[in-house]
Amino acid sequence: MNEVITSLRRTPYQTFAALSVLFFTLLLSGLLFISLSFLRGLLDYVETRPRVIIYFQVKSTEENIEAVSDLLKSTNKTTKITYISQEKAFEIYKEFTENDPLLLEMTSPEILPPSLEIDVKKPEYLPELAELVSDQPGVDEVQYQQDIIENLLKLTSNVRSVTFVFFSYLMFMSMIVLTTTLSFKIALKREEISILRLLGATNSYIRKPFIYESVFLGVVATALANVFLIGTLLSTSTFFDQYFTGIPELGASIFGITLTVWPFNIGFSIITFAVTAIFSLFITLGSSLIATNRYLK
Amino acid sequence: MISFQNTTVKYPLGNKALDRVSFDIEENEFVYLVGPSGAGKTTILKLILNEIQPTEGSITIDDMEISSKKFKSVTKLRQNIGIVFQDFKILPEANVFENVAVSMRIKGFSSATINSEVNNALKTTGIQDKKEMFPAQLSAGEIQRVAIARAIVGNRPIILADEPTGNLDPKTTWEIMRIFKFLEKTKTIIFATHNTDIVNSMKRRVIVVQNGRIKKDMKKGGYEL
Repeated sequence: MNEVITSLRRTPYQTFAALSVLFFTLLLSGLLFISLSFLRGLLDYVETRPRVIIYFQVKSTEENIEAVSDLLKSTNKTTKITYISQEKAFEIYKEFTENDPLLLEMTSPEILPPSLEIDVKKPEYLPELAELVSDQPGVDEVQYQQDIIENLLKLTSNVRSVTFVFFSYLMFMSMIVLTTTLSFKIALKREEISILRLLGATNSYIRKPFIYESVFLGVVATALANVFLIGTLLSTSTFFDQYFTGIPELGASIFGITLTVWPFNIGFSIITFAVTAIFSLFITLGSSLIATNRYLK
Repeated sequence: MISFQNTTVKYPLGNKALDRVSFDIEENEFVYLVGPSGAGKTTILKLILNEIQPTEGSITIDDMEISSKKFKSVTKLRQNIGIVFQDFKILPEANVFENVAVSMRIKGFSSATINSEVNNALKTTGIQDKKEMFPAQLSAGEIQRVAIARAIVGNRPIILADEPTGNLDPKTTWEIMRIFKFLEKTKTIIFATHNTDIVNSMKRRVIVVQNGRIKKDMKKGGYEL
């Protein structure tokens, strides 16, 4: 360990460059992993709760609403139908706007539409039921999650592609910077290496200190990136609390393990740490092997 | 046993560094390799270390044909050879103890064995009180003792010494020679030198190399060209 630290201190600029680029790459990989996990969690959440919301015209009668409810029940594809009257809708609105009295003042129960919230047995019934009720008397608008799911899928795919390209570039740059730094150090130790070879040192013996040095940089960069990620998650938790209002928990299946990604928890932090550590190992081991192989060949 | 049979080393332009050289060196034998600069002494040592390959002929060490193109155990071969050079070839960033210990670490000895054997070697070479010091803090004679200590630890039966006293004053030269004398009969030592006094003082086997050829091979010789 002392040898590794001494060697790093002897080349402070190269060490700083390698550490910075590794830190940013791992930070980005962590952010990518977290955002994709959240999106996956949201998608799973929406997919497992298929629901149609039917908004009625403000002046529609209770008979109209009851008729639609009966029609839906008769299909035997629903699990629960909840009637939200204008008064109930106003109560809900009041809860949402409790911090903004001006908005509340401008609203009254009469202007809010009554609605039916229909929980459906399977997501594929959603379009069929929406179409069935859309031209019933009194029905103003039918909303279901198809759009939300499609948007989330599109967003997930875009985030994945953009971050993949960006991450690949950074990973490539990290490997180049680390390989160059190590090659420089190997060149400085050329004489020492030739002595070791005369004494019968194997290639793995010669490689060892360079691998240790690069892995050490990787460990430091992983730790820094994770401290930064955890700090960011903790400091933005209020924002996420508001953003995910009504969603008590987000779970996503990661590497076959179903994990709670929201609210922020230790299990998810450990998985994030493991993912960044694996990337870090891949980059540091890869570049140290490339650098030493080039010389030893 | 080290055996050279009609060994020739040719440079790409055709001139010969060694020309049909043949000799055998027995186990634990002390041999002086003498001759003027450029005669081929260092080439012989480089061949034994497998740093270069002969263009013709063969070299065997303990029944290992090291001159063969198929020979792959270079590290294993070198792990059996201790080296002491005129330019010391010491690790500049390691202290005395580590410089000697590296010879054993390479071979995978345990820390306890390394500790005891290195301390014994430092005692033998008279630098046990300098073990924490770095090469930059030592005199040339002390550095050469470190190299000798490194050569004798870790069960290396052969020592190749290439002008080990070339950079030393006469007093230190004799101190170094006393250490080599002490090691006699326990290791095979090949000692390349131009120092007439050293060769004449010990009356050991002398192989005289000149223009890439063995000029004389004397059982108990002196320095003569």
